[in-house]
Amino acid sequence: MPHATHPPSPGLQALILCGPGLSLNTFTSTPSTLPKCLLPVANRPMLWYPLDWCHRMGIYDITLITPADAAPPLEAALRSHPVLTSLSGPRPEVLAPKGLEMTSGTAELLRLGEVQRAIKGDFVVLSCDFVSEIDGSRVMQQWMSLNPALAAASFSRRKGGLAVYYPTHGREGISSKKDETDFVATVPFSRPNVMPPTGSLRQGVEEVVMVMPTDTLNDTLDENKQALPIRQTLLAKHGNVKIRTKHRDAHVYFLPLWVKDFAARNEKFDSISEDVLGWWAKAGWQQGLAEKLGLDEVLAGKRSTDDEAANGGSVDEHEEVDATALSSTRSAPAPGRQPPQAFATRVGNSTVPPPRPKLAVPPLLAYMQPASPTQPLIRRIDTAPQLASLSLHIARLPPSDTSPLAHEHKIHPSATIGQQTRISQEDCLIAENVTIGTRCNIKESVVGANCEIGSNVRLTKCVLMDGVVVGDGVQMVGCIVGKRARVEGSSAVGVKAGEAEVDGAAMKGKGKAKQKASAQSGGEDDDKTKLTECEIAPFFVVEAGTEAKGETMKAFDPEGEVGGDEDEDVDVGDEDNEE
Amino acid sequence: MAEQGGPAAQSKAVDESKVSAAELKKRAKADKQARRAAQKEQEGGPAEVAPATNGAHQEHLAQAQGVQQDQKGKVAHAKGLQQPKPSKQGGQEAKQDRGGPSQAQNIPLRSRAAPTAPSKELPKKDNTVVELLSHLYPIQRRPNLAGVSKDVHPAVLALGLQISTYEICGSSARCVAMLLAFKEAIQAYTTPRDTSLPRHLVSHHLSPQIDHLRSCRPLAESMGNAIRWLKKLIVELDPDKLEHEAKDFICEEIDRFVHERITVTDQAIAASARNQIRTGSVVLTYAKSAIVEKTVLQAHEQGTRFRVIVVDSRPLFEGKRLATSLMRAGLEVQYVPFSGLAHVVKDATLVLLGAHSMLSNGRLQSRVGTASIALQAHKADVPVIVCCESVKFSGKVALDSIVLNEIAPPEELLLSAVPEKPHTYPVGAATTAAVGKSAATGKDAPEDDEPAKLKTLHDWNSAANLRLLNPMYDITPAEYIRMVICEYGSVPPSSVPVVHRLANEGM
Repeated sequence: MPHATHPPSPGLQALILCGPGLSLNTFTSTPSTLPKCLLPVANRPMLWYPLDWCHRMGIYDITLITPADAAPPLEAALRSHPVLTSLSGPRPEVLAPKGLEMTSGTAELLRLGEVQRAIKGDFVVLSCDFVSEIDGSRVMQQWMSLNPALAAASFSRRKGGLAVYYPTHGREGISSKKDETDFVATVPFSRPNVMPPTGSLRQGVEEVVMVMPTDTLNDTLDENKQALPIRQTLLAKHGNVKIRTKHRDAHVYFLPLWVKDFAARNEKFDSISEDVLGWWAKAGWQQGLAEKLGLDEVLAGKRSTDDEAANGGSVDEHEEVDATALSSTRSAPAPGRQPPQAFATRVGNSTVPPPRPKLAVPPLLAYMQPASPTQPLIRRIDTAPQLASLSLHIARLPPSDTSPLAHEHKIHPSATIGQQTRISQEDCLIAENVTIGTRCNIKESVVGANCEIGSNVRLTKCVLMDGVVVGDGVQMVGCIVGKRARVEGSSAVGVKAGEAEVDGAAMKGKGKAKQKASAQSGGEDDDKTKLTECEIAPFFVVEAGTEAKGETMKAFDPEGEVGGDEDEDVDVGDEDNEE
Repeated sequence: MAEQGGPAAQSKAVDESKVSAAELKKRAKADKQARRAAQKEQEGGPAEVAPATNGAHQEHLAQAQGVQQDQKGKVAHAKGLQQPKPSKQGGQEAKQDRGGPSQAQNIPLRSRAAPTAPSKELPKKDNTVVELLSHLYPIQRRPNLAGVSKDVHPAVLALGLQISTYEICGSSARCVAMLLAFKEAIQAYTTPRDTSLPRHLVSHHLSPQIDHLRSCRPLAESMGNAIRWLKKLIVELDPDKLEHEAKDFICEEIDRFVHERITVTDQAIAASARNQIRTGSVVLTYAKSAIVEKTVLQAHEQGTRFRVIVVDSRPLFEGKRLATSLMRAGLEVQYVPFSGLAHVVKDATLVLLGAHSMLSNGRLQSRVGTASIALQAHKADVPVIVCCESVKFSGKVALDSIVLNEIAPPEELLLSAVPEKPHTYPVGAATTAAVGKSAATGKDAPEDDEPAKLKTLHDWNSAANLRLLNPMYDITPAEYIRMVICEYGSVPPSSVPVVHRLANEGM
């Protein structure tokens, strides 16, 4: 989609973390060929969404950080994938740091030398599975306007950060109770000076005081007999703490430069969301914590790594005049005077230690999106159901909609559609070079590029990735079919009847696979392939006549990581790989 | 009247050069007709409204105007604005070139940023603009970053956002922040080939930054003075100077400017003004001024025992911030809403005011409401002292708050961003009395489309005879001001032009 005008550069750079995609392992088991960030979501590689989001904000300095073995396919896709190449602006840089494993934590990643060198100013950290209808510049606007006045200076160490949390509930068709959530405790940020104009996100901006994933929360609860210990100091400092457990971290962080040093200094930090932000949020109110984490030195501009001397420029923040103090909408901070002596005179002064100058920890803000179906969508796609529901959501968007995610063509002009085939225009997406046979019925589905669909096929709520072949007479409901997979229909009935059983055994999972070999019953429908709510791995072949519900169909790893493999299953897997 | 069609159409042509000539002609014709019709109605209508309406009688019926005018007056009065008197109107008009009614809308009076919107909105009846002040309305306060020029430096971009959300508010704060952001922007500048920094920097690099800031909020007088100084500094640079040297020099000069004209000046003014506060004094102040805050704090630190009354008003509630910081410093503070002014002014022994700008006729431009404070204090024989850096002194002259002012978005007057349920809050009950009153009259109007539905103030846009007005400043007459304390000393208001010449024009 061409952009009408380039927005001004906000002076930020973006880091997009292209991780392994553990929960999407049906489709991403081999990161060297198909990394998670290239999985199609509504016929665009997942990576397109954060890239486009950044471009709309005016950020063109983008670094993709990925483990080394996923780098070659990523670079190839950036060069050749039609959707990715259609993005305007310079091509993002791919950075595959040496020490980065598939299992590395995000904060660990931030500590790596290559990444540290790549960060030259304030930065945005995004995950490759982030999809947002909210214009990034609106979020960025909040970050910019709520920073302390003089923090406009690019190397200021008083800038705060901004994270985004979205509600996992209250959205029909997309929200599911199984979604991962985070535990966030926030306090209201200072009230806006005037009513923000309609459409401003200011109302949703709050200050984070505690944040952890629900897993950690549960661990803490288990350790403490189902109670969550909270320090008194939090309540002493903030009287109005709001705790949310149904929001999820969108993994979009607007961070100032000093966070890089903060992460580098604390070796124990594992993930950005849990550790870097979690400790930062706590340091804002917990006494002595900021010093323990080395925040005082980080904020004073002392660098833990001296190899960056040229990078950050001279850190001279001699602000003799402070525009914030002059501003008529701010009040001066409490003077650092000694509070009046509380002791009786005979106690003497010696018992009172001189109070240390209090470190002003920059605020960690968060945009908490209110839960309402009318709100623009923010989501992370890290499970297959989410991938499906989001793809279908995007498919429902009318073309030339105001939403930045909408497709220009619901049915691409290059698609060939047979006679008497019905495709419900309003909720389907058909990509380029798709061939669809006659008398098909396609509803609420996304069909990826170069798919071949036979005749008499019924697709409902299905997501077909690129190059899927669907045979005649197949019925699929709620299925996600991986790249180049094949679902055979009645035309492929030439295969031996016995193989169907083998195929049935190949399906793993606890669901009951009902087999109907053509020999068993002689009805007309029996050789039809019927799949309901199945996930089909890339390159997998589903034999004709398979009837399954809730299955995950994938080739087995030759290493046999999944226990209980039968020999014949392995054979099938090999056969599929040959496809 | 007929000969006025010509100039009006021309000025339009300048504004909307993109529109085709034929369409322009058509529009001009329609305009003319509408004016004629209005003129005719006018003659039949009440005569005493006519001189004050000024530009309103283009497409409105005279009867409707009467109501509007009335209500405008009420709003203005409630905000402490000077009532626009017909006699004064003439004087103010004389300053602009006498153009007749249509020109008042088409000619941008105060800045280049102000112009086209009202004239574009002319064809339809526009409910959002108070006609009398239509020249002050900005094109559109930018709610987002879309459409901002690509050349705007990130620091300026951020500053623009902070200014438009009032995170940075107040003349000197904005001026300082602007200069510091410009420092960043200048450091990021590289001179293209075939040109030199003194020739290129201002026109190609600095002016987009300035334009952006102006689009976020009209520039303050102090900002204007600082920009003039900066431009002069850059233009007078030696073209042979190496680029990085020149940039460093400019940045050092900016630092010096901020230091001399604001930081040290503030200290000097505070040191001088604090002597006006004596033991037992009751200092009354309005909203929040950084210098007043400093003065009061210094007097407190000196050990003077006195009391402070902070008067505050909607929608910015700046006085709250002042009261907070004074309270934290251990002062005895009384916080009063604007409506309680008459009550507390009796107790005051001194009124200290900050300034947005000091105008050359000795009048003070400051946060809206200041004029009422000064008037009340004058009546009660309480001396009114203005603390103002010379950088805020202006060569402009204004007699009323109409010619020079800033109109903030009227939505800021609303109490909540989302409209309450209509049945819980009838007619915008909690807003200023005048507005509530006019909303009530709006409801009574029989021609209203949906008389059954209760409207809240959030629907002000659709109420046919309701306007919201949110001016930022007003003008305090010089005779209410006992003394102006600036870094050149304590001067009477009549000496403002002298100080202005000394401070801002000799630079």
